[in-house]
Amino acid sequence: MRYFLTTEDGRELEVVVEDRPDGRHRVVLGDREFVADFRDVDGLGQYALLLGRASFAVSVAADEPQAPRVHVAGESFVFRALDERERLAGEVAGRGPARGEEIQAAMPGAVVAVHAAVGDVLEANAPVVVLEAMKMQNEVRCEHGGVVAEVAVAAGDTVESGQLLVRLDPPPEDA
Amino acid sequence: MSQPPFGKVLIANRGEIALRVLRTCRDLGIRTVAVFSPADRGSLHVRYADEAWPLPGDAPSDSYLRQDLLLEAARESGAEAVHPGYGFLAENPDFARAVRDAGLVFVGPPPEAMEVMGDKLRSRRAMLEAGVPVVPGTTEPVATAEEALATAEEIGWPVLLKASAGGGGKGIRLVAGPDEMEGAFRTASGEAESAFGDGRMYLERFLVRPRHVEVQVMADRHGEVVHLGERECSLQRRHQKVVEECPSPVVDAETRARMGEAAVAAARAVGYESAGTVEFLWSEGEFYFLEMNTRIQVEHPITEEVWGVDLVEWMFRVAAGESVAPLVELLPRGHAIEVRLNAEDPDQGFLPSLGRITDLRLPGGPGVRVDSALYRGLEVTPYYDSMLAKLVVHGRDREQARRRMMRVLQELHVGGVETTAGMALRLLRCDAFRSGDYDTGTLERLLAEGLDCPREDGADLELAAAVAAALWRHVRGTPRRSDEEGAAGPDPWVLVHRCRELGRWPR
Repeated sequence: MRYFLTTEDGRELEVVVEDRPDGRHRVVLGDREFVADFRDVDGLGQYALLLGRASFAVSVAADEPQAPRVHVAGESFVFRALDERERLAGEVAGRGPARGEEIQAAMPGAVVAVHAAVGDVLEANAPVVVLEAMKMQNEVRCEHGGVVAEVAVAAGDTVESGQLLVRLDPPPEDA
Repeated sequence: MSQPPFGKVLIANRGEIALRVLRTCRDLGIRTVAVFSPADRGSLHVRYADEAWPLPGDAPSDSYLRQDLLLEAARESGAEAVHPGYGFLAENPDFARAVRDAGLVFVGPPPEAMEVMGDKLRSRRAMLEAGVPVVPGTTEPVATAEEALATAEEIGWPVLLKASAGGGGKGIRLVAGPDEMEGAFRTASGEAESAFGDGRMYLERFLVRPRHVEVQVMADRHGEVVHLGERECSLQRRHQKVVEECPSPVVDAETRARMGEAAVAAARAVGYESAGTVEFLWSEGEFYFLEMNTRIQVEHPITEEVWGVDLVEWMFRVAAGESVAPLVELLPRGHAIEVRLNAEDPDQGFLPSLGRITDLRLPGGPGVRVDSALYRGLEVTPYYDSMLAKLVVHGRDREQARRRMMRVLQELHVGGVETTAGMALRLLRCDAFRSGDYDTGTLERLLAEGLDCPREDGADLELAAAVAAALWRHVRGTPRRSDEEGAAGPDPWVLVHRCRELGRWPR
């Protein structure tokens, strides 16, 4: 199988993983090739990883399977990780009509500004709402974009974590 | 075996420090009474205590600040003494007095000493009288911008304007020259008025590249005061200490002796008793009294590791009337570093990261001490502060301690919430930390620049992480929409429904 990882700073890495009869895996990343032994040690997300003889204590956590957060030797890495089928589906979706999306507050906080009104057409990654939490202002952006169907908050509102901010319908079909 | 200083003690605190105090009690053979809010029912400080008394609410005002209920628990449990830990009521003279009036022993300083040290102007006057060096500035509060301007001309520019009733960074302004005074005074005084109900300000000289260096003292009721060297606490973010070390990289033996003498004089001047910390600003080889913290401090373990002493044990001993004379014999050995592990997300402006600790791997080995009430399953709630653990290392010298702390931060894993561990690890690798050449503004500057310090071992962790992410996706398999029940089987509620429909267990 082939996996496509996008790093936090937007670089794309392609990783080929093949099963070996001994339970280990052949892994190719760029011009590097390894025999990888990936052992689940506690069923809670901790793994013992051997790349050849190089050893790593790795933890993997994910709220959704396509966004694993990997913790290794005190450092954290978050990837967007797609398999071939998902990547293909993503490309098709990118060309065709996107799904609607619900934009939620990631943290409890106060709404400082709302940049969207019902009927607005938003590009992917457009700023939607500015939230203030612990005196820090954070711009909340949409992912795919679309037509604003509902604005659930107004400037001055206090929101809980997970509360709906704005709901988008898929963008109109291209003419 | 020597007699324990008390038979039974109530610990009026929670979390890490309650557990820290409780551990010393158990080591000494003192029975422990814990108190807990509903959110803390499962905490280690409750589970490890001999007795635990419930408090009604989760908010501090309904729990750890309820003097009446704490005293009632102390009385009914038959405790002889109350240890306040740090925070909450630790520096509240009314509470110390109420404990004393209830016929119990307050394990801390006398309320009178707290009152003097808790007031910036009174403490400053007391220090001047005692011959303790203070930052050049006013001893009387200033009420108008004109007065402030005239005073600043005497002290010398630049000056800091500070709220007379201040705290937490509110009502503080740096004033570079005469032109800025009127505007700065108006805003700072307004802030202080709304935050503390007191708009009076005082002024002091602004020091160049100041370092926060504090001296640990221990005093007994017979008038003996001993100092146990200094701690370097300059690495701060928004006035919150992040990494501390003992000894300070810039304090030599001669300065240490002078600072120690000054700290002892400060404690004597207010009739101090128990453990206390005299904070100094250090700048260009000179030091100036800042304030005295009349409690056991968060970062006390680094002093304990270097001086080989249990400060909480000595708080109990002096509270029971013992002399601090044996502490004079102690000698410092090696170097200690503490990292405060907070449940905060450095990538999101250090927002508190709330949630359940789903996974935990703690460091260990030679020279490592973890002071923490952390356990797998702990719910990090918004009611209390975000500190999860204090990671402490001791080494024969500074570089061994630094390497040890990097190992500790690499061994550690906390799953379920974001922590400041990665940030601390990068900080320890920075030139500023390696050289010891830093000041109270260094960490904020480094964070603004992205804290981008190269790894020393050259390991390609991103590559390992990427391979792990791909393997993780691979071994988990890809969930298919047509087979949503997946490996875990159908939802139990769905099963119950099917059982009802079929009148039997579905096959």
